[in-house]
Amino acid sequence: MSTNLFAQLSALASSLTLLAGIALLWRRSLDAYIQAFKWQSVVLSGMFVLVGYAGGDRQLYAMAGFFFVLKVVVIPHYLRRLEEQVGAERESHPYINIATSLIISGLLVLLAYVITRPLVAVSRLPTRGSLPLAMGLIFVGLFVVVTRRKALTQVVGFLVLENGIALLAMLGTYGIPLIIELGVFLDVLMGFLAMQVFVYHIHGTFESMDVEQLNRLKH
Amino acid sequence: MKGYLLEISQALIALVLAPGLVGFVRWWKARLQGRRGAAPWLVYYDLRKLFAKEVVISKNTSWIFRFTPYLVFSSTLAVTLLIPLVAAPLPFDRIGDLLLVVYLLLLGTFFLALAGLDPGTAFGGMGASREMTIAAIAEPTIALSIFGLAVGAGSTNLGRIVAETLAHPSAAISPGHLLGFAALFTVMLAETGRLPVDNPSTHLELTMIHEAMVLEYSGRYLALIEWAAAVRLLIFFSLLANMFAPWGVAATLTPVAVGIAAVALVAKLAALGLVVAFLETRLAKLRLFRVPELLAVSFVLALLAVTSSFLLR
Amino acid sequence: MLSLFLVMISAYVLGALAALLSGRSALARALVAAAAAVGSGAGLALGALVIASGVPLTFTSSRLLPITGVALRLDGLGGFFLVVVGLVGCAAAIYAFGYSAQYAGRYSLRLMGAMFNLLLLALSLQVMADNALTFLILWEAMSLTAYCLVLTEHDRSGTVRAGVWYLAMTHAGFAALIAMFLLLSGADLTSSFASMRAGAALLSPASRNAVFLLALFGFGAKAGIIPLHVWLPMAHPVAPSHVSAILSGVVIKMGIYGLVRVLLDLMGGGPAWWGGVVLGAGAISALLGVLYALMEHDLKRLLAYHSVENIGIILIGVGAGLIFHSYGLMTLAALGLISGLYHTINHATFKGLLFLGAGSVLHATGTRNMEEMGGLIKRMPWTSLFFLIGSAAISALPPLNGFASEWLVFQSLLGGSNIPTPEVAVVMPLAVGMLALTSGLAAACFVKAFGITFLAIPRSSEAEQAHESPPSMIAGMAILAFACVALGLAPFVVVPALGRVLTGLGGLPDTHAAFTLNLSLVTPNNFASMSPTLVALGLLVLLGLVPLVMLVFRVNRRLRVSDSWGCGRLGQTPRMEYTATAFAEPLRRVFAELYRPTKELSIDFHPDSKYFVQSIEYRSEITPWFEKAFYGPLLRFIRRLAELTRRLQSGSVHIYLFYISFALLILLLIARWS
Repeated sequence: MSTNLFAQLSALASSLTLLAGIALLWRRSLDAYIQAFKWQSVVLSGMFVLVGYAGGDRQLYAMAGFFFVLKVVVIPHYLRRLEEQVGAERESHPYINIATSLIISGLLVLLAYVITRPLVAVSRLPTRGSLPLAMGLIFVGLFVVVTRRKALTQVVGFLVLENGIALLAMLGTYGIPLIIELGVFLDVLMGFLAMQVFVYHIHGTFESMDVEQLNRLKH
Repeated sequence: MKGYLLEISQALIALVLAPGLVGFVRWWKARLQGRRGAAPWLVYYDLRKLFAKEVVISKNTSWIFRFTPYLVFSSTLAVTLLIPLVAAPLPFDRIGDLLLVVYLLLLGTFFLALAGLDPGTAFGGMGASREMTIAAIAEPTIALSIFGLAVGAGSTNLGRIVAETLAHPSAAISPGHLLGFAALFTVMLAETGRLPVDNPSTHLELTMIHEAMVLEYSGRYLALIEWAAAVRLLIFFSLLANMFAPWGVAATLTPVAVGIAAVALVAKLAALGLVVAFLETRLAKLRLFRVPELLAVSFVLALLAVTSSFLLR
Repeated sequence: MLSLFLVMISAYVLGALAALLSGRSALARALVAAAAAVGSGAGLALGALVIASGVPLTFTSSRLLPITGVALRLDGLGGFFLVVVGLVGCAAAIYAFGYSAQYAGRYSLRLMGAMFNLLLLALSLQVMADNALTFLILWEAMSLTAYCLVLTEHDRSGTVRAGVWYLAMTHAGFAALIAMFLLLSGADLTSSFASMRAGAALLSPASRNAVFLLALFGFGAKAGIIPLHVWLPMAHPVAPSHVSAILSGVVIKMGIYGLVRVLLDLMGGGPAWWGGVVLGAGAISALLGVLYALMEHDLKRLLAYHSVENIGIILIGVGAGLIFHSYGLMTLAALGLISGLYHTINHATFKGLLFLGAGSVLHATGTRNMEEMGGLIKRMPWTSLFFLIGSAAISALPPLNGFASEWLVFQSLLGGSNIPTPEVAVVMPLAVGMLALTSGLAAACFVKAFGITFLAIPRSSEAEQAHESPPSMIAGMAILAFACVALGLAPFVVVPALGRVLTGLGGLPDTHAAFTLNLSLVTPNNFASMSPTLVALGLLVLLGLVPLVMLVFRVNRRLRVSDSWGCGRLGQTPRMEYTATAFAEPLRRVFAELYRPTKELSIDFHPDSKYFVQSIEYRSEITPWFEKAFYGPLLRFIRRLAELTRRLQSGSVHIYLFYISFALLILLLIARWS
């Protein structure tokens, strides 16, 4: 595979993952969020395979497999189950309205470009052009967590953030060693299960997914 | 000399094909919905019928109402003289670039909105207000897409953009190009009044945007406006097709090349028409205040397109 | 050239004298108007001559003013702004003849006529000032004469408040300008611009930055950059319409003149962040200006906010030019500055035209409120035609002048791909997006302004009885409308002239041949080309061809006039029409987070049942949050400071005598020990 084609494909894949992240800022329903996360993870697994093929690293194929199972099958399944248990609420009044959030996300991507300029200048890998997009995805994930009200949206935002970090690692260094990656996966799974319990209890106590309600615990 | 003749015939081709394009999209939409649908060439008969009818205008209107159909038709036709339909570059290329095309279309929209306000009806005012809102919010996306294309091609002149993409085919699948295409496609849906922004075949006045503005028009005026709207659709389709996938556009003015280009154009228009028909069947119309969100998404797409082509050179 | 100069000055002075001496008769008004027109015409010719010949005009006299004398030098840049003054001044003067008739007997025509001529004189001389003191004196003269004119209708509510704000802000800017000139000239205000130019390179970077910030504040307060714009929407509507035209068309351009003169000419350009700040300020002013204009239904306030918007667009061009200049990209810098200057003259013409049109409407209906107008196109055909031309021009519709200059601004921003540092280059696409949004919103706003005011059915009895303006007012508007069309169709004349104007300023090369080719505008490296003349020709041909073809094909030509389609209702009243507020409602909702409209709703129910409503009162207001956020705390602080210092004024004569002797003692001690 020619370097140029590899660079173009990785840029394409990174753009698609970023767009999936931005879809979190656009849509209002939890189903849409789960779909976006699922497709983002599919593209990311594909990226693992691509980088493994172009970089000649067999471990990445295994990682792609784990990634796919964890993030395309297991986590969306649990998310759907949680949605059925607590009832999905639409994100109708986020703290920053949707059009403004979208514009801010565009500006965040610009910021990511500016911030990763030294990284891009130093790196020799053909995937360096897509580093800003991964950084942008991280920012977008953070932005979702900060500005959305419902707990489930924040959970998905956190998962997208984690995807962004994985993408950044892969683009920057062609992936991190298998053991570390597995450890990270396990962390994510544990964190997710903990959040599941958390969300379930929020719903049970307040009959609502609005995280602002936690303020009432003060009294 | 050949170039000028080709320019004029290009405009005539656009005039002739446009109603057929609208009919084609309508026909496919019907088929996808399980109906037989009106034949694609019915639109031509509709236009002929309208030209044969008498015009009835409101007594509250002024000369602007009577002038607007001619202006809208002329400005849209002028745009067809400027865009590369079958060949690029053409002699009129230096008269106008992509920015001029956008603003000529805005000229038509401006006067159409005024004509909507002229009869003093609430529907006309509503249509005019909504149309100008959407046109205004779509502008940044169009400008940024132009920026992205221009930076890549080194010019805002349409012939040069087409030539540039022809010379570097691998750039056509670059994320910058694809994102720009997605952004412009969304804007096209908004500017030509297609679902999910506006339903062109609705009969409920409160849901109309473009149709509400032209509610008072009849006879030859309505024919001119409908025809201009069809040409506008053709213009947007051709711009999308020939700027992002220009293969087939004639670079020399030989009959063979032009013939191939004409066939390629019809094929691309049909393909885009199919996509739009499919989308119109699949998507429901958005609430009016969800449309800015859609346009904000297209703005972000355009911004991403510009940054990826601009900052990574 | 000197003779034109003397004609100009004497015409203005004679006009002022004539106004003071004769007063209110029609002959007096005619004399005043004629004098101003002759003066402006002479100024226009003078400026054009200086630009065409490239030879500056100098005039010094050490006796006209104490200490320094007057030093005047008219170069290309000054000549260009003199053309702007002359063009708008001439049209406004002719218009004033008919317009001021309504003031006879109610307000002082003497003062108005005199101040009008003196304002034009101060403006004309302003652009010729060649040393700091002359500049400052003329600046102050301009501000004061404008203030007197703003206060013409002094018994109306809101006028005095507008005058106070205007005076306060213009003097705040003036203070900044004094500080700036002190820094530039090394505390010697009589030093000429030439010596300042030479000395500027020797200033420390800190001083240079201070000069930049002071210039931005001082000239920005005059130009109306956000957040220093607050006086604009207050002062421009309350002034008489021909004065509003001058204020919006010319006076605020003096801020642009000052910025270009100081930043480019005297300082020779600066680091990239100067241009970036100017560009950013311009982009924000443009967007916020048009957003607030959209929500207005007072016709003149709407136009005033649009002035803020267009100043923003001018500054986008100038800022881009300064950024390119700092990187040594001279041709692109010239492009940016040319686009800014071109938009200056275009805005002067179409904004002047729009204000004169608004004046006509005000003259005919007695109200500035759009919600009470409508249907004026049938009763005021000429005014509406000219207002339409102005609206189309300001919305940047081809082939008029607004499009030509906005196209150039876009092209200069597109040149941003040549900037070496990406952090700076990334500003350009953002500016492109903001400019495009501004332009679209402006078009929406003017569909509203023209459509609600002139089209459909009259919404009040005043609108029903409106009458066309007298010929002098129509003539004034016609001049500017013609200028709009001419400037739009002939950019290949204007752009080389501007290239010649900019030659030598800040080291810019002579670019007068770089941007045009035959009948088209062409940007450097053949990046883009456009020909408004041919577009206009094409449109005219098509407009003629289409009816002809329809005739040949024997299309049905019958036309019947009837009621508007009623969807089943009987009759149509003005209450059924769309209002200005309704028209802007979707945009108000889209940008609700920015506007933060307040809402008050009170419903009176029938005492017997909650299902029957007797009356509903709905009140919604949009207050620009600058006034609350910036000026609120500032005004409270000043008030508190004033109250503290009030304690010094105890009222006791002995304390005052003590103050005087104490001050004398301190002075003597200082003199003893220095």
